[in-house]
Amino acid sequence: MTKPNTGELNPQESAASEIKSYATGFIVSLLLTVGAFAALLSDLPSTWKIVLICVAALLQIIVHMRNFLHLSFSGGQSREDLLLVLFSVCLLAIMAGGTWYIMSDLGGRMHQASGSDAAMPEAPTR
Amino acid sequence: MSENGLYPGLNLGEAHDDAHLQAESTVFGFWVFLMSDLIIFGILFASYASYLDPIGLAGGPGPQDLFDVKSVAIQTAFLLFGGVAYGGVSLSVKYEQGRAKLILWLLICAVLGAGFLFFEIKDFISQAGEGGTPQVSGWLSSYWLLVGLHGFHVFSGILWIIAMIGQISTRGVDDVVKVRLSMLGVFWHFLDLIWVGIFSFVFLATLT
Amino acid sequence: MSGETSPIVGNLDWNVTPYTDLLKHVDSSTIVGAGAASVLVLGAIAGLVLFTYMRWWGPLYRNWLTSPDAKKIGIMYIALALVMLARGIIEGFVMRAHQAMALGTLAQKESGLVAPDHFAQLFSTHGTIMIFFVAMPLLIGLINFVLPQQLGARDMAFPVLNQVSLGLTAAGAGLIMISLLVGQFGTGGWTMYPPYTGKIFSPGEGVDYWLWAILISGMGSTLTGMNFAVTIFKERAPGMHLMRMPLFCWTSLCVAIMLIYAMPALTVSSVMLALDRYADFHFFTNAAGGNMMNYANIFWMFGHPEVYILILPAFGVFSEISSTYSGKRLYGYTSLVIASMSIAVISFTVWLHHFFTMGQSAGVNIAFGIATMIIGIPTGVKIYDWMATLWRGRVRITAPIVYLTGFFLLFVIGGLSGIILANPSIDYQVHNSTFLVAHFHNVIIPGVLYGMLAGIHYWFPKAFGFRLSETWGRRTALLFVGGFIFTFMPLYVLGLMGMPRRSPTFQNPDFMPWMYIAAFGGVLMLCALASLCWTFWTSYRNRRALAVPGGDPWNGSTLEWSTPAPVPEWTFPCIPRVKAREDWGETKRRGDPWRSPETYTDIEMPANTAHGLLIAGASFTLGFAMVWHIWWLAILGVLAIPGLVVLRGMRVIEPNIIPAAQVEEEDRRFRQQVASLPPATRADEETERNRGVPDLSEFAG
Repeated sequence: MTKPNTGELNPQESAASEIKSYATGFIVSLLLTVGAFAALLSDLPSTWKIVLICVAALLQIIVHMRNFLHLSFSGGQSREDLLLVLFSVCLLAIMAGGTWYIMSDLGGRMHQASGSDAAMPEAPTR
Repeated sequence: MSENGLYPGLNLGEAHDDAHLQAESTVFGFWVFLMSDLIIFGILFASYASYLDPIGLAGGPGPQDLFDVKSVAIQTAFLLFGGVAYGGVSLSVKYEQGRAKLILWLLICAVLGAGFLFFEIKDFISQAGEGGTPQVSGWLSSYWLLVGLHGFHVFSGILWIIAMIGQISTRGVDDVVKVRLSMLGVFWHFLDLIWVGIFSFVFLATLT
Repeated sequence: MSGETSPIVGNLDWNVTPYTDLLKHVDSSTIVGAGAASVLVLGAIAGLVLFTYMRWWGPLYRNWLTSPDAKKIGIMYIALALVMLARGIIEGFVMRAHQAMALGTLAQKESGLVAPDHFAQLFSTHGTIMIFFVAMPLLIGLINFVLPQQLGARDMAFPVLNQVSLGLTAAGAGLIMISLLVGQFGTGGWTMYPPYTGKIFSPGEGVDYWLWAILISGMGSTLTGMNFAVTIFKERAPGMHLMRMPLFCWTSLCVAIMLIYAMPALTVSSVMLALDRYADFHFFTNAAGGNMMNYANIFWMFGHPEVYILILPAFGVFSEISSTYSGKRLYGYTSLVIASMSIAVISFTVWLHHFFTMGQSAGVNIAFGIATMIIGIPTGVKIYDWMATLWRGRVRITAPIVYLTGFFLLFVIGGLSGIILANPSIDYQVHNSTFLVAHFHNVIIPGVLYGMLAGIHYWFPKAFGFRLSETWGRRTALLFVGGFIFTFMPLYVLGLMGMPRRSPTFQNPDFMPWMYIAAFGGVLMLCALASLCWTFWTSYRNRRALAVPGGDPWNGSTLEWSTPAPVPEWTFPCIPRVKAREDWGETKRRGDPWRSPETYTDIEMPANTAHGLLIAGASFTLGFAMVWHIWWLAILGVLAIPGLVVLRGMRVIEPNIIPAAQVEEEDRRFRQQVASLPPATRADEETERNRGVPDLSEFAG
């Protein structure tokens, strides 16, 4: 369903398979969305909830890219686009992860100065 | 470049040869542009996370006070259906199912997008009414910018759809229009992706 | 500024020009301010009169402003950059002159040429202009001109978008220029850190000028990056595999990648600051849950890749000229490619070294300090590669080679002081001192400025059909090298003596000797600027003697030297089929490189359009209206931009067809001319005998 269209297929057959691909993507996305919302409303511990929500989000992003945006490693343009996306995600991970690393470190040090009960702010120990 | 110079998925098929060659570099360029946009959203997500602590809330209302899960679920449904509806656009361009069907699918996408925007703006208004304006705290500033920017993208997408309907009616479904419809498709699905991030991390994960 | 905002003209009134300041109070500072405004006004009037008298408006509009040709767009970028360079250098000189007179005493703290606030505007505009409106347009212009020719393409992937990018950059530059005359510029330095640049401490229009100039031109740069990337990936001539691309194309690819991924960070930090200023958001207000450190974080996430955006094209130029002017193949092509790509990626991992002292824990500082030292390695590899390329070559000491030599000597010093600064504990000692100022000028001037001037010198004949005077070129290069040494080496010393950067005054008389030396360096830089102008002028006057219609004045080996000089609009009569790396060199080695193609076909070129010009006008209007809070005009500007795009989208635009017969006629004329011109040997390269047809027997490349 994600293989590149070579134009040699019977148009009707090809249309049907593509509709099937969209339908699969839609159903899986719907289930994952409902799952994420259900996780929030469940009685699980909050760490588990966050893990479930993150996993559902990741899976749903993959499903969207595969079934709606038709990215794949199968070669040609779709492969180029997928590599572009993966490269972007790597750089984004550096930038967003770095921001999180730096800002949480700064935030942690600011909290200690204002929030701790001790008169002398302790040096951060790691 | 690629052996089968076909644009995958959003492709137009062999019968649309010239459109294909043009599509290859134009749509690739649009992907690159979206990746640049992705970085903007990524930095906003990271900033949102860094403002999400008691200091960032600055004594103002927090996520528990402001977020309405039901409304978020409705918005999610609108966008998901809107994304799938664009599949109809892509297929009716590819298999030349006629101008009327194409415009109909585009209109469905625009209406679903508008429905999303309606509920999002309703949320924003009620949050502002509860004292959750962006001028209250750093966290609220980052929330409004991130979610507002996504909403602005959806708004631009709707304008783009309307412009495409205008182009289809004036110049017909020529090669240039086909390429632009492919780009609009990438854009429209990209907005879904960002929304998956927003409802998961900004709303759900924050509320746990 | 008056307290009320008028609905018609916003915050504008008659008190915003430097002339009203001069009327109120006459001193050296207001005289300098009014003088600068007068230069702008008189320059504009002189330009208007000249263009009207010479009847140049029509040709300017038809041949340049509406042209989507990447080569012309590149030349316009460079022209814009050179105008801004003149302003930047003059501002630098005024700052050096000011500090040479700025020794205060405990009784009278302030002295010097300009008032402290004026001095702050000077260093803010100097930095903003030099980075965003000199270095960026220079390199983007050079890439625009050279890249398609080296790839064997006729144009960029998106010619009209290219025109829009130029328009946006020019609109940003226009905002900076008009701030000389209308109102004031910001005083927060080129980085404009909040909270100082927030509404409370900087209420006026100054920071807004910066914000809108950056947002508008930044958008242009992002689009340019995208255009470069798609051009490199999709528009290469058949057979031009990635590993056959000339090195300048590789560094252009790195630049494209960094523009695409780094410019968004600048957009985000600027939008956040704008929201803080215009709509009372609290991204950077610590008291209301914001975090001003996040500005530094996001800004430098852009700012560090930006440094490499600036430097990598220069590395590309040096790769080309070290090979061409030594008549040798480039040493270590693959290692240079790998080094460039590593720099491009690692440059995204080091941004924290710009704010080591902001209070994060030692572990974070060390992580980024190590990454910073690592990025020195690929740069070192490159230096060795170029030296090995020159080694035992037949090196001709042309102007670009003088720049290259200056670069070798000075850039290594700058790089080493960078490695010193990469150590957080040393950075704590010298940060915010003139040591840092000396360091970054020490990498940016020898890197970017020398590289770009060398590139202009090298490719100038391709653009205009005649060489630049080598004598004056060498003089200019030597003046820039000397000017740099005298201006900035003293700043290292001053920094170690404890002189803070950006200080309008100081009380330590020991600084004075170094200040005088630096001021002398400033004079040399002014001379270098004058000499650069003279190089262009004298070469233009001697253009007949310097003409190189054969198109290959330096016996080069990359594709762009196979075409006539000046290069025709369509660049290649038929798209070349590339069979090797340095394809033109291979063709020369096989003999008879100027064989004409068998058939000629019609060539499709994008039609001229005023789209870029209109978008530039609308975005300039938007920026100016936002700076002065003229809301109705801003709304018009905001609506005009998508309106223009949609209107263009509705129309079917036919390309410009150049008939095969015309191409054939011009191409045959060129081939006959080449056959009739006497080949010039290496020894004759600088003489009138060099008509652009090299002696092939000497080609060894």
